[in-house]
Amino acid sequence: MSLWVDKYRPTSLGKLDFHKEQANQLKNLVQCGDFPHLLVYGPSGAGKKTRIMCLLRELYGPGVEKLRIEHQTITAPSKKKIEINTIASNYHLEVNASDAGNSDRVVIQELIKTVAQSQQIQSSTQRDFKVVLLTEVDRLTKDAQHALRRTMEKYMATCRLILCCNSTSKVIAPIRSRCLAVRVPLPNTEEVCSVLTGVCRKEGLLLPAELAKQIAEKSGRNLRKALLMCEACRVQQYPFSADQDIPDTDWEVYLRETANAIVSQQSPQRLLEVRARLYELLTHCIPPEIIIKGLVSELLSNCDGHLKPEVAQMAGYYEHRLHLGNKAIYHLEAFVAKFMAIYKKSMEEGLDGMMF
Amino acid sequence: MDEYDEMYGIEDDFEQQFADELEVMAEFEEDYKPPRKTKVSEFRNKKPLTFEEAIASGDPVPNDKAAARPPESAVSPQRTVNKPARQPSPGLDDHDFPEHLLDIDEFPSPKSKRRRQDVAKKLQFNSSEGEREITPPSSPEDYTRTMRDRVQAVPVRSLDISGLGELQASPRRVNTTSGHVLRRPPASGDYISVTDSSGNRVYLAKKEESTATAVDSRALRNAHYSLGLLSVPIEVLLEQAEERRHQQLVEESQRMTEMINSRIDEEFGEIDGREPEEEEEVAAGDGEQDGSASRLWVDKFSPRHYTELLSDDFTNRCLLKWLKQWDTVVFGREKAAKKPKPPQVDNKLSFQQKDQQNPRFKTKTQITEEILEAELDQYQRPKYKVALLSGPPGLGKTTLAHIIAKHAGYNVVEMNASDDRSAELFQKRIDTATQMKSVLGANERPNCLVIDEIDGAPSAAINVLLATLNRKESREADAEAGGIGALKKNKKKKTESVLLRPIICICNDLYTPALRPLRQQAFLLSFPQTQPSRLVQRLADIARRQGMKVDTGALMALCEKTDNDIRSCINTLQFLHGRGQRQLDQRLVQSMSVGLKDQNKGLFSVWQEIFQLPRVKRKRIGEDHFMEVSGQSSSATQRLQHVLHLASSSGEHEKLTQGLYDNFLNMKVKDHSLNSVCLALEWMGFCDILNETMLHGQNFSLMRYLPFLPAAFHLLFAATSVPRINYPNSHYEALTRTQHTKNMLVAMLAEIHPSIRSRVGMLCLSLDMLSMLLEVICPKLRPVNPQLYSTREKQQLVELVDTMLSYNLTYRQDRSPEGQYLYQLEPNMEEVVRFPGLPPRRQLTYQAKQMIAREIELERMRRPEAMLQARNPQRKAEEAEKKKAAQGGGSKPAARNHQQRLENIVKQTVVETRPEVDFFGRAIVPKEKPVPSAASGEEGKVSVELKMGKAVGNSDVWFRFNEGVSNAVRRNVYIKELL
Repeated sequence: MSLWVDKYRPTSLGKLDFHKEQANQLKNLVQCGDFPHLLVYGPSGAGKKTRIMCLLRELYGPGVEKLRIEHQTITAPSKKKIEINTIASNYHLEVNASDAGNSDRVVIQELIKTVAQSQQIQSSTQRDFKVVLLTEVDRLTKDAQHALRRTMEKYMATCRLILCCNSTSKVIAPIRSRCLAVRVPLPNTEEVCSVLTGVCRKEGLLLPAELAKQIAEKSGRNLRKALLMCEACRVQQYPFSADQDIPDTDWEVYLRETANAIVSQQSPQRLLEVRARLYELLTHCIPPEIIIKGLVSELLSNCDGHLKPEVAQMAGYYEHRLHLGNKAIYHLEAFVAKFMAIYKKSMEEGLDGMMF
Repeated sequence: MDEYDEMYGIEDDFEQQFADELEVMAEFEEDYKPPRKTKVSEFRNKKPLTFEEAIASGDPVPNDKAAARPPESAVSPQRTVNKPARQPSPGLDDHDFPEHLLDIDEFPSPKSKRRRQDVAKKLQFNSSEGEREITPPSSPEDYTRTMRDRVQAVPVRSLDISGLGELQASPRRVNTTSGHVLRRPPASGDYISVTDSSGNRVYLAKKEESTATAVDSRALRNAHYSLGLLSVPIEVLLEQAEERRHQQLVEESQRMTEMINSRIDEEFGEIDGREPEEEEEVAAGDGEQDGSASRLWVDKFSPRHYTELLSDDFTNRCLLKWLKQWDTVVFGREKAAKKPKPPQVDNKLSFQQKDQQNPRFKTKTQITEEILEAELDQYQRPKYKVALLSGPPGLGKTTLAHIIAKHAGYNVVEMNASDDRSAELFQKRIDTATQMKSVLGANERPNCLVIDEIDGAPSAAINVLLATLNRKESREADAEAGGIGALKKNKKKKTESVLLRPIICICNDLYTPALRPLRQQAFLLSFPQTQPSRLVQRLADIARRQGMKVDTGALMALCEKTDNDIRSCINTLQFLHGRGQRQLDQRLVQSMSVGLKDQNKGLFSVWQEIFQLPRVKRKRIGEDHFMEVSGQSSSATQRLQHVLHLASSSGEHEKLTQGLYDNFLNMKVKDHSLNSVCLALEWMGFCDILNETMLHGQNFSLMRYLPFLPAAFHLLFAATSVPRINYPNSHYEALTRTQHTKNMLVAMLAEIHPSIRSRVGMLCLSLDMLSMLLEVICPKLRPVNPQLYSTREKQQLVELVDTMLSYNLTYRQDRSPEGQYLYQLEPNMEEVVRFPGLPPRRQLTYQAKQMIAREIELERMRRPEAMLQARNPQRKAEEAEKKKAAQGGGSKPAARNHQQRLENIVKQTVVETRPEVDFFGRAIVPKEKPVPSAASGEEGKVSVELKMGKAVGNSDVWFRFNEGVSNAVRRNVYIKELL
C-alpha cells in the first residue's frame, strides 16, 4: 500500500474527509437496521467506492477487509464459458458484471442468485443478509438490468445490492426506483486541498497551499487524480515550490494537441491526421464519450462566442449518435468535420467582414 | 417492313428494355405512370382526329352488318372509327345503329359534347348512305370473344399491342382507295387494323400526326408529374431514348439489310464448300427440332470434332499432346503393334511437326509444358499423370475433355459432382475406370477418366486420387528394388495396379484449398477466354441454321454480356428463339436480363467504380445494362442506379463501407467548405447506426438501405481521374491494438492485491492512474550502490518497490532489435500510456532499473515468508520450526525432546526478523534453531542431537547452519570470540 491513494484511504465512515453529514446518514442507516438496496452514483474520483467500503465495515466490522479474488467460471445456456473475477469477503461479493461483455445477463443471474439464495447460518452473530456490490452498473446491458429487477425483490431477505455507477441515466427506471439513491458529489476545491495537505503532513512533507490549489484544479477535483498528481510532484521535486510543474496525463495532452490541430487548419488532409489521432486515443482505451467531451471543451475555448452554442449542440447530437451506433470513430470524425466546416465558414465570414 | 410496324415494335421493345429502370423510377415516384398507358392515351388522342376527319371527308359507311355487306358495293369502303378506348362495348354490337348512336350520348365520356355534334352529323349521313360506327374493344379478350361470334368476311388481323410478331405476320392487301377508314389494308402508308365489337374489321390509314399527339400527351404529363423527383424528368429521358432509337433504327436497318444480304450469300457459298456431313447434320438438326424441340441447343450444336472446338487452340493442342503421350503406355505396349490407329498417329505427327517447325515462337508456358511433356517415367507415362483444366464456366472445358479423349481413341468415363464422391466410392470408381475396360461392344477402347467439377470434391476424395497416383509408384519402387528381372516380370502382372490411364480433372477455381496437393502433381491448363470473334461466328452459324436473323453487332453484345460464356450465349439464343423471336438485334440483347451473370466484382473494382466517373464510351456495344438509358451523357440517376446495383451485388457491405471510409478523404474534394465531407460522414454515421440496429434487433430488412451509402459516396466524390485505393485496414488495426492494450491492462490487474483491485478498474487505470503511476515509479535515484543510500533514500526505494509490487509491475530484461539490453516494465504500461509525438517521459537509468528489478525479486521472495511470520509472530514461527525439525530429524522422539527443551529457551528470547541474514550469536540469543546437517549419518544423528540437546542446557554457544545461498556479510570469527 504504498501509493498515497491506497495508503491514506479512510476505512470507516467516521474518518471520511468530506460529505460528513452524508456519512452520518449512512451510519444511521446501518444502525436503524433496515438496510435498503443502494444505488451509489457520482463522478469518478469522488470516493464512491471508499464510502461503500466504509459502509460495509460499519455493517460487518473489520472482517470485510479480508478480501480475496475468486475466479469464477459460469456456463451460459449457449454452453459458452464466461470467466469472471470477483472480489469477495465473507460478507460481501463484488462483481463487475460488465467485464463479461454481452453475456453479463448470465453473470447477474447465476452469480447473484447463488449468493442470494444461500441463507446465513449464524444469524444471531451477524447480519442476516449478504451484500452484493455491483460496479459499473451503467455499463450493463439492458438485458442484465432487467434480470436484476426481480432478483432484487425476491431475495431481499438474504441479500442487499449496492450498485455503483457514474451516472444514473443508463440505469433503467425500475432499478432506480428499487434503490435508495446516494449521490456522492466531487469534493470542492477546498476539500481536495485539505485532503492533500493532510496526506502530505502524514508523509512528513510540507505542501504549499498554492500548489495544493493548483493540483486540485488541474485534477478537476478528482481526488484520486489529485493525490496521484501530488505524489508525482513529490517524486519530481521534493521541496515543493508553489509554481511547480504538475505532471499531466498523456492522453489529455494528446487530446489537447488534437484540438489545436483541428483549429489550426481545416482540410481533408488535416481531417485524415485527426482521424489517426482519434484512432490512437481509442486504442489506448480512452472511451469515446470522454474523447468527445475533452475535444468539445478544448474547442469551445478556442472558438468565437457566437459559434459556441452551435458547437455544443453538435457535440450533443454526435455523442447521442455515438451511443446509438457501434463504431465510435465515424461519429467522432463526423463531429470534427462538422466543426471544421462551421469554423471555416465563420472564419471566412470574419475575413470578409474585415475586408469591408 | 414498314415504318410504323417498326415503330410499334420498338415501342414494345422499349418497355421490355427499360422495365428495370421504370421499376426503379416507380419506386422513386409514387405516382408513376407506366408508358403503356401513355401509349393508350396516344391512341385515344389519335382516334377522334381520324374520326373527325372521316366525318369531314364525308364518305360515310352504311350502317350494316359487315358480313352482309359486299365489299365492292360501297363507293369507298371507309369506316369511321370512334374508339373510346376504355369502353369495351360488347353489348353494343349487332343492333340498329341509330339506337346505338343515341346510346353513345349516354356514355360517360369526356368528349360527349363533341360527340353529340358528330352524332348529329352522322344522323344526317345516315339517311343518305348509312354510316358505320365501329367501336372496337379495347381489350383483346373482348375482341376475341366477339371474333368467335362472327363469320368474318375480312381476314382476321389481330391488334395485339404487345405482339410484334403477329403484326409482322399480318398480310397486307393492296387497296386502291386512299381514305382513312378502309376495308382493306392500305397499300402504302401506315395503318391500324381495327375490329369492332361485331367483329367487322377495318383498317385505319395513319396520318403523320403522331408526333403532335405525342407532344400533347407529354405536355399533359408534364403538368401532372413535374414533381422533379428525378434529376432529369422522365419526359426528357423518354424523349432522349426515342431520339436515339430513331437514329439507331435507321443505322441498324441499313446495316442489317446490307449484312444479311452479303452474309447469306457468303454463307450459302460456304456451306456449299463444306463437307456434306455437316449438311446432313443441319438437316438432322432441323428434323430434330421438329421432332423434339426440347433438346438444348447447347447439346445439339456442341462440337463433335476436334476441329470444331471453340476454345483456345493452344490449350487444345497442349491437352491433346499430353494425352498423346499416354499412347506409348496405353496403346503402344499392348496394342500399338496390332492396332496402330493411323489417323491418330497422323495427327500426332502433324502436331509434333508443327511444334518442331516453330520452336522460335514458343512462349514461356509452351516451353515449360514441352519440358514437362518431354519426360516420361519408367512406365513410359508422362510425368504428370493428371491434367487439371481450370477456367470460368462456359468456356467448353468439359467439351474439350470429351472431344479430345474421343479424338485420341479413348472411351470417356466421366465423374462429376452429381456422383457420390466420398472417399471409398471415389477410390472404387477410379479403380474401375482406370483398370477395367469394356468387354462387350465392338469398340474396345481404353478408358479415359474425366473428373468434372473436382473443385467441389471433398479433400478426402482428392487425397484418394493422389494416393492412386503415388501409392502405386511406391510399389513400383519396391519392385525396382527387387531387381531388374523381377521388375520385368512384375510389370506385366502389375499393369493392373499401376495407373496406366490418363485422368483429366476439370475445375472452375484452381485455387480451392482442397486442390492444393493435386496442383503440384497435375499438368495445369488454364483456359483463356474464348475469342469473341470465333464465338460470334459460331453463334451466327447456329442462328442461321435455326432460322434466326442475327447481326454481328448483336452477337458481339451478347458475347460481351455473358463474358464469352458459350453455354450462356447459346442458351440465350435458344430462349429467344423459343419465345418466338426470329430476329435478334442489339437492343434486344441489351434489354435482356437473361444471360446476365451475377456480377461478381472484386472489392477494389467496386471501390474504383464508386470513386471514378464512368468514362464515355464511344461504342455502345459493351455498355452496361444500366448505363444504357443514359448512353453517352450518363446522368446522375443512371450512375446512382449503377452504383446501387454494384453495391448490392457485392454483398460485403462492411468491407465496402470501411474501404470507402478509409479512402474518401484522399479523393480530390472539390468543395472548399468541407460540406461534402460532412455529408459523407453523416452517411457513415447513419450506416453505423443502421448496422447496429440491424444486428441488435435482428432486423435485417434494414439491410436494403445499406447500398445507398456507396451511391451517396459516388455522387459526392466521383472524379474522372483514376483513384488510388488502399486496402482498408485501419479499423482492423485499431481493433487489434485496442485488444492488445486491453490484454495488458487485464494482465496488470490480474495480480493486483484484492484490496487495491477493488478500487481500480480498467477505465480508471487508463484514464487517471497509469500516467501518474509511471511518474511515481521513476524517482530520482542516485546512481550509486543502494547500500550507500541514506536512510531517506532507502525509505524511498522501499516505497518504490512496494508500489511496484502492489501494482504488479516489475522490470524485465529485454533485448532490443539492435542488440541492446534494456529493462522494460512488465506488463509494459509504457505502451498503454504513451502517445506518439509527445515528448518522451523521463526514464530511469539501466542500472537503476536493474537494481529495482532485483529488489523486487527479493521482496517477492520475502513477502510470503514475512506474511507467514506476521500472522502469528511467535507461535507460528515455532510451529514452523517444529515442522522443520520434525522433517529434518529422522527420529521423532528425539526431535520432541529437543523441541521441548528448546521451547523454554526460545520463549525467553526476542524473535529476530532477518531470516535472510545468517549470523552467529551468543548463547543468550538462541533463536537459531539447531538444524541437523543433512550430511550427518543416520545413526549419528540421534547422538548428535542428544548432544545438542544437552548442550542447550549446558553450554551457552549455539550455532545454526543454513543451507543455500546467503547474502550475509562474511567476516572472520575467531573461536575465542565465541567462547
